[in-house]
Amino acid sequence: MKKDFDLVIIGAGPAGMSAAIQASKFDMKTLVLDDQLAVGGQVYRHIMQNSNKKKDLSFLDGDYWSGHNLADKFLCSSIQFLPESRVWQITKNKEVFFTQKGKAHCVQAKSILIATGAMERPMPVKGWTLPGVMTVGGAQILLKTACSGADGAVFAGSGPLFYLTIQQYLRAGFEIKAVIDTRPKKMSLVAYIWAFPSLLQLRLLLKGIRWHSEIRKKLFYFSDVKSVRIIGKDVAESLCFTDAEGREQRISANHIFIHQGVIPNINLTMATELKHRWCRRQLCWKPKIDMFGESSIEGIFVVGDSMGIWGAEAAVFSGKIAIQRIAEKAKRSVAIKTLISCLYRWRQLAIRPFLDYLFKPPEDWLVPEDDTAIICRCESLSKTDISNAIKLGVSGPNQLKSFCRAGMGRCQGRLCGLTIQKMIANHHGQSEEKIGYYRLRPPIRPLTVFELATLSNDDSTAEK
Amino acid sequence: MMIPRRRNKVIVIGGGIHGCATAYFLAKRGQIVSIIERDHIARHASGVNAGGVRSLGRDLAEIPLSLASMDIWNNLHDEIGSYAKAFHPSFYLKVAIDEEGYAFGSARAEELERAGYNHEIWLESSDVQSRLPKLTTPTYGGFLVEGDGWAIPWQIVRGFAQGARQHGAEIIEQCNVFSLELKQNCWRLKTEKGFFEADYIVNCAGAWAAELAFQSGEPRMPLAAYAPMLAVTERKPPILPAVIGVLGHTLSLKQIDTGQFVIGGGVRAAANLGENSGEVVLPELVKSMRLVAKLFSDIAYAQIIRCWSGIEGYMPDNLPIIGHGKQPGLIHGFGFSAHGFQLGPAVGKALADLVMDQQPRIPLDAFRPDRF
Repeated sequence: MKKDFDLVIIGAGPAGMSAAIQASKFDMKTLVLDDQLAVGGQVYRHIMQNSNKKKDLSFLDGDYWSGHNLADKFLCSSIQFLPESRVWQITKNKEVFFTQKGKAHCVQAKSILIATGAMERPMPVKGWTLPGVMTVGGAQILLKTACSGADGAVFAGSGPLFYLTIQQYLRAGFEIKAVIDTRPKKMSLVAYIWAFPSLLQLRLLLKGIRWHSEIRKKLFYFSDVKSVRIIGKDVAESLCFTDAEGREQRISANHIFIHQGVIPNINLTMATELKHRWCRRQLCWKPKIDMFGESSIEGIFVVGDSMGIWGAEAAVFSGKIAIQRIAEKAKRSVAIKTLISCLYRWRQLAIRPFLDYLFKPPEDWLVPEDDTAIICRCESLSKTDISNAIKLGVSGPNQLKSFCRAGMGRCQGRLCGLTIQKMIANHHGQSEEKIGYYRLRPPIRPLTVFELATLSNDDSTAEK
Repeated sequence: MMIPRRRNKVIVIGGGIHGCATAYFLAKRGQIVSIIERDHIARHASGVNAGGVRSLGRDLAEIPLSLASMDIWNNLHDEIGSYAKAFHPSFYLKVAIDEEGYAFGSARAEELERAGYNHEIWLESSDVQSRLPKLTTPTYGGFLVEGDGWAIPWQIVRGFAQGARQHGAEIIEQCNVFSLELKQNCWRLKTEKGFFEADYIVNCAGAWAAELAFQSGEPRMPLAAYAPMLAVTERKPPILPAVIGVLGHTLSLKQIDTGQFVIGGGVRAAANLGENSGEVVLPELVKSMRLVAKLFSDIAYAQIIRCWSGIEGYMPDNLPIIGHGKQPGLIHGFGFSAHGFQLGPAVGKALADLVMDQQPRIPLDAFRPDRF
């Protein structure tokens, strides 16, 4: 017999944890699955392990430590939590399949909450595949989990996480060689307009302004940069770019951290065949959901950053709201409390449109300028390879797969999907929405032949 | 004076392997041919199948067709030029790993001998082991066919489409056929891209073919649609020189030139014809995976990185429909029940013969559309 649960939550980040805490209040039989060794997701990564060495980790600020309270409550609740569990398929009948410790399992859920969070938008510039190049998010995780960093690194890109990580790097005492800001200096009109509501979250706004001015003052800083290329033979050796005055610059560095904002991680929601829409403001696909987070399949909810980038605070709310909704649905009523929570959430969202417009990647960052830049890393396909395949008469990303194997590797399109979609859209002069995305199929995470072979129908117990 | 032969106008519905091969052989013989395809060439079962090119283990009724097709495969370069590089001949080995498989194999060997076929050779257990040094389970022997192999399916289909085009055929993609009717000896098609007329219609619409035929006035044929599933692993060093099957089990296993293992065999998931989508239900593949892990422990720790399915039409007797319809000028070729890819070239030739009113060289009696 399969084990039954009222609720299965996928992801133990802010949204997943707050949902689980709420679910325990309603006495729902809940299972929480997460890829990682411990709770926290990416934003509160390593929070429990870090909490007893708070003094040594002064580079982490209050926003990070606020996750401790949440994680603590989560771990003290009666919820069953299985770390190191990789979910690879959700069926329409709400069976959840996952691998844990080399064995495949299946559980049956009445409701499912997908809280798989965000991932960094790929920044395909020439040389981004060279050893020594890493994403800013990756650099931040090394810092959070191992207090490890590299002296003399160059940061290239833009976005809130970009500035935050530079700040943390500085406070952790690492020397930063240069900051290459790719954000165009001229703010768009919409960004000015959205600046007003962002005043509702003045604290965050001021924090950002402070970071930015500190970075400008303390560091070797270039703004409004174009044409970033990373040069090196076997490893990254230097970074070239055009500065705001149009001069060619070259900075030698062995550690280069790149970042171009974050986007929802949609591999699970797409493989579950939930309906999605293209968001022009955040330039990404998002699952179609109602105000409570319920997707196009009844009983499957998407919360937190996997429904759209809103940040950790909003994620906590969205998890809570979804659970209230599930509880109410069971009682067939809509409580005023849920609606109030929804309204209150708006305040948490006020700053986001401003940030989205301020840091919207300009067109020329979405497709690399250099023809030799690798786009599909798994199959090692350059921009020229992809362009040639598109010219054979490709109508969308799925047909392109058979023509040149783009997107057929183990990342399952995570690192090339948006770039390829944009290139095909440009070729046909159509919108990205019309071109569509890769058709994603389970397993959304690789699993071995042996692991799949261990799945049995009468399986029930996963190891805690 | 040469009297020019009448050039018929033929429309082939469906841009899969059978449709494209038919169009190719017709265009080569001077007919005016159009392929109408609702998606793009090789979109469904023809493009996304496991690519097995196998004459081994065929139903007795299919063997002549399959062997004739093998002749075309072996000289494929003459037909589709450099696209033929997508065919990788090696050998096909179908092993018996249990008593039932062995019994099944013995019965099959007798049956083949009685019918006078000698292309499948029975190998003893030790010969199987020496052919497959990485095999990790004892066998009772197995059938071998030299020269069978695998192909990158969509490239072969594209090869035939390109060949047809070079001989003057027209290929119309993204064009759904709404209806089909015979009016004064002329077939009229209503499609997404307007009306078309033709003297002959070749119905190679795969899983969609029976509905199309019924709607045009043909008797209902019992075609069911399913989505056979496939899984592919990460790249590994070469250990498998052949395509492997197991007697009495649904499995096909091969290692393609990238080093990836392709695991298939026809485990079916549901298909949705309206939405053009086949499902992928991994738990259904558990049995196949157990078999793979047992056969080659080296593959057990390869990661499955991707699964997919393609929509295919199945007949109750697992034999295709090839032949004239009830109405004049309508010829059917569909229902290949997940083993039609290898047959494609010969079926194309046979369907072209039927259109040109020539008697195909190969007996097609077992595939009559009115056998149900």
